[in-house]
Amino acid sequence: MTSEQPTPEEMSERAAIDRSARFPVLFFFTSAAAWLLVATLLGFFSSLKLCVPGLWDNCQFMGYGRLFPAHMNALVYGWAMQAGLGVVLWLMARLSRNKIEHPVALIVAGALWNAGVTLSVVTVWFGFGNSVPLLDFPAWVWPIMAIAYALVVVWILPMFRSRGESLIYVSEMFVLGAVVWFPWIFITANLLINKGTAPVMAAGASAWFITNLSYFWMAPIALAIAYYIIPKITGRAIFSYPLAQVSFWILAALSGWTGFARYMGGPFPAWMSAVSGTASIFILLAIIVTVVNLLMTLKGATKIWEFSPSLRFTVFGMLMLAVYGLLSAMSSTYIFGKSLQFSHFVVGLDTLAFYGFFSMTVFGAIYFIVPRITGNEWPSGKRIRTHFWFSTYGIITLVVCMLIGGIAQGGSLSQWNQAFSTSFVTSSAYVAGRCIAWALISFSNFLFLYQLALMFIGKGRKTSGPTLIHAEPGKVESAKAAAGLN
Amino acid sequence: MSSNKFWKLLGALGVVFALPWLFLIVIPFIKMSNAKPVPYTEADGVEGIAAYPDKALQRHGSSDYGRQIYAAEGCAYCHTQVVRPTYAGPDMWRPGWGGREEEGLARETHPGDYATEKVAMLGYQRIGQDLSNVGHRIKSREVMHQHLADPKGLDPDSGMPAYKHLYKKSSIDDGYVPTGKAEALVDYLMSLKKDQKIPSAVVSGS
Repeated sequence: MTSEQPTPEEMSERAAIDRSARFPVLFFFTSAAAWLLVATLLGFFSSLKLCVPGLWDNCQFMGYGRLFPAHMNALVYGWAMQAGLGVVLWLMARLSRNKIEHPVALIVAGALWNAGVTLSVVTVWFGFGNSVPLLDFPAWVWPIMAIAYALVVVWILPMFRSRGESLIYVSEMFVLGAVVWFPWIFITANLLINKGTAPVMAAGASAWFITNLSYFWMAPIALAIAYYIIPKITGRAIFSYPLAQVSFWILAALSGWTGFARYMGGPFPAWMSAVSGTASIFILLAIIVTVVNLLMTLKGATKIWEFSPSLRFTVFGMLMLAVYGLLSAMSSTYIFGKSLQFSHFVVGLDTLAFYGFFSMTVFGAIYFIVPRITGNEWPSGKRIRTHFWFSTYGIITLVVCMLIGGIAQGGSLSQWNQAFSTSFVTSSAYVAGRCIAWALISFSNFLFLYQLALMFIGKGRKTSGPTLIHAEPGKVESAKAAAGLN
Repeated sequence: MSSNKFWKLLGALGVVFALPWLFLIVIPFIKMSNAKPVPYTEADGVEGIAAYPDKALQRHGSSDYGRQIYAAEGCAYCHTQVVRPTYAGPDMWRPGWGGREEEGLARETHPGDYATEKVAMLGYQRIGQDLSNVGHRIKSREVMHQHLADPKGLDPDSGMPAYKHLYKKSSIDDGYVPTGKAEALVDYLMSLKKDQKIPSAVVSGS
């Protein structure tokens, strides 16, 4: 993470680490990308069903109440968790200068995880769900996922422990945090829901699980990537290391308090949603500090974003993180929450977390990591560019539509003397927007999966020099010229 | 790195999360767990019912099975079962949402209202109506079935899909005959009445 040029010994050490990571990390990325395509298609069909309620009336598998949770499960457990695990493994290996020792064990664990994800999607889709967002699979599914997860991350802690005495990278802290916190929230929420004797708290735990998943898995991994990739690609040190550390601990200390603001005025003691709302507002400060810190690192080198796919995706993801922080702080106040609570806005906010900042940043990491572990370059810079723009337009369309649609829906609900169905009619145009957004995102992810599959089977470009946007394959200079550098 | 430093860092990561975990989840969970019904006093003026919540009042026919159908079809993704106090939303203004208004029983939802459920079906979004008191609003089974089998027939603007797979096509008159699942689901919907009077002992917080 310094701007110094690496020595030849360091270069060959890195290459050895990358080779050891090749099969497990590529396995996680490729199966994650396949799940992502499934998830985005399910997202498209569920939105279409919501838009045209009469569609597929006779088919029980095409109801919104089944398509939507199946979509969320595929998106979070199939894609986000799995891609995150791949990133975490590679980052930890590189930062702690350790080879990945047991690639076969990791792939077996990964296969077990995929079995768990398949069960979680299929059971919900076939009508065995329990209507608890993201935790709606039958009680016997989650232990499979918990065991598979443990079998993967059990290799990460020893890697970190055996590192040298040098300064701990911020990225390592975020990786470590995500690895330790996720099983904790996952097991807690599942126990409360499946073994609990307090029905209201079980529902509260599911809301708590969703926001904590964003802040304790999605955000730390996205930030670990950003703190790694931005200094690496620009060749500079982080603008302020102490600031990065402070914002890490603020995020860590406050995120666990969020979640109950989703049920403001719900059957909970009122202090719970008040504490959650306050935490969300303070988290916004930490997020702004983090994003500013990263952008200051980038300052003056922003032209690189024109041609480096990794940097472009990562920086866009960080901007989306700032938007997420702002919108979740906003919606946890009574002023906005009154009408935004339970509206389309909720879907917009969750998708912004799962796709907007998390996925975009992870794409940046994947574009960075895969060429290094396979020794091949991406086949086409043009396809990367299309992936970026279709994803970007898709997620922006979705968030804007769901925000405005949510305001329209909530506003019409607060007209208590209007018929209820008015709220459906006024917001239905925005649901059509959500549908279009998922179509754009599905297309972009088809390209992404296609490219990744080519890399997986060894059909990448063999030439030296990275694949860049706006460039002849392998020719860095032409990209720089297109960006107006030189 | 030294073992000491490693465990210190790991411990710090644990402690920062343990605090909210304990105070926001574990302790409230223990306090709300296995809540005992609170008996009415004379001042409450309630006759015929001994305590709040009364689980028998929250059940109707095979509503426990119907609840599973409700969950499996993902009804909670579009329907909430939360009536918020007016400071948090205009739910109490909607006719019938808070319960039996003419009898002065309309109110916000309360933790005891979900006593027969394992997970309270609070809901994710409110694309459709809030169902906290739908059992009071729709009193006829036939109308309830019509809402499930042909919602557009009742309100052309309705955004609800028809749940035709819960019905069989009748061979006699082209109508829809409910399956056992549909009957159970209707039982569950009929059971949704979250306006049982709350004893003064609960309100005063003792």
